[in-house]
Amino acid sequence: MGNKNSEEKIDFEQALAELEKIVKQLENGSLPLEQSLALFERGVKLARQCREKLQAAELKINKLIEEREGELNEEPFSEEPD
Amino acid sequence: MATVPARKILTVSQVNALVAGMLDEYFSDLWITGEVSNLNYHSSGHIYFKLKDEGAQIDAACFRSSAQKLKFRLEDGMQVVAHGRLEIYVPSGRYQIILDTIEPRGIGALQQAFEQLKRKLEKEGLFDPERKRPLPKLPRVIGIITSPSGAAIRDMLKTLRLHRAHCRVLLYPVQVQGEGAAEQIARALAGLNRRDDVEVIILGRGGGSIEDLWPFNEEIVARAIAASRIPVVTGIGHEVDYTIADFVADYRAATPTAAAQKVAQGWQELEQRFEQTEKELVMTIQDLLFHLEQRIDELSRHRAFEQVVRRVREFHHHAEILQAEMRDVFRRLISVRNETLNRLRERLSHQNPAVKIRQGMIQLNGLKTGLQQAITGTVTGLSTRLARLAGALDALSPLAILARGYALCFSADGTLIKKINQVEPGEEMLVLLSDGRLKCGVQEKIPGGENGKQEQ
Repeated sequence: MGNKNSEEKIDFEQALAELEKIVKQLENGSLPLEQSLALFERGVKLARQCREKLQAAELKINKLIEEREGELNEEPFSEEPD
Repeated sequence: MATVPARKILTVSQVNALVAGMLDEYFSDLWITGEVSNLNYHSSGHIYFKLKDEGAQIDAACFRSSAQKLKFRLEDGMQVVAHGRLEIYVPSGRYQIILDTIEPRGIGALQQAFEQLKRKLEKEGLFDPERKRPLPKLPRVIGIITSPSGAAIRDMLKTLRLHRAHCRVLLYPVQVQGEGAAEQIARALAGLNRRDDVEVIILGRGGGSIEDLWPFNEEIVARAIAASRIPVVTGIGHEVDYTIADFVADYRAATPTAAAQKVAQGWQELEQRFEQTEKELVMTIQDLLFHLEQRIDELSRHRAFEQVVRRVREFHHHAEILQAEMRDVFRRLISVRNETLNRLRERLSHQNPAVKIRQGMIQLNGLKTGLQQAITGTVTGLSTRLARLAGALDALSPLAILARGYALCFSADGTLIKKINQVEPGEEMLVLLSDGRLKCGVQEKIPGGENGKQEQ
């Protein structure tokens, strides 16, 4: 579970880093039009991916229960209402 | 007081036993004040020392069961107030006071204990800034040690959500006050450290009295924090509360909420960075379209216009696909309250080359039609005018006048005669009529107009 999260995190950061690079290149403005449009297209795609990742991510909360020999088991934690 | 019968001879043991009974009866519940000296913390857990004032001293002992309850550590020279009972040590005949409660004088026991532990751990270097470890920027797994039912956990989870920490929370439920709380907290710290996924630990508790917060001032908790290989963030009590745990922690936040905020900070910054970049991306396409327009303008002034139009159409197609993509992006942006981008989109669509060119074409067609209409109109107008002018010219023709009965007279040299003084009687003149000429001679000059009126 932790590994999956880690991959997602790297994905997001990588996508964001590439997006930032694209924006820099576009801002530079010296590229031919076709290339600029292609870059923009890629940027839109990356932005959408990032947005989806952000919206999909949510806080997961588990409670740890200590068993004998100090082993820790997890179970879902439901918050008590106010 | 028990009376000793006269002449009754007692053994040493009997005397001591008798005294023991008396001490037990009369000195089993007393408060005493004095200065601590000859202090000895014995390995058995008992504490032995002397209590003294200017003129006297008394042996004192605090046995392990009571010694464990002391919140602070005794020091030589310390003024204390204590409670206990007198007891005779039968083998030596010395009496001593057995203490069950000891408090420092002048300063609260807890305060004293706090200061002592703080000094001690500080000396050991547990508070050193070099010991503080950096917190992970984007923690995926956060361990939280707190009560599962307090306001602290609710505040922390709420804050983590608000700051969009995209992570898993492992709550280690503990008692945060009262007997055994410190041990539970230390155990929880050790427990989380046995896992390989926890990246940061928050140790939190809502506000309370110094007694309520006491577990966080206990050495066992301080040691457990120091021993943690995972960075620990404390958020204990309110702004003004400082506990020993705060000093040892890698980061001290003022409250549980502030602790959660600190831990989620990296996530929040990442999201802000993304939103900024997304905005910039949209602005670059605006620039791009602006340059595209400029180039179209430029190229359209050249002869190779057809080629330009073809290129523009290609870009068009591309731009339209991108626009669809953008609409998609925008829909998302709107859903996450980004009105700025919405406005940008408006502006973007105004600058769309497809729209511009379509508008240009319509305009051009309009102009062409207009020109044709103008030309046709002008020609028609001209010929009408010509016809009218021709009619006017015709009307002005002298021949037409002659037809109406007028005549023109010319002198012999061909000059048109308008006045009588241009000719003399006897001279010849030529009279022009509509159908021919008459050769006539002037007989007489009679001044006067058409009506025979005299002309001057």
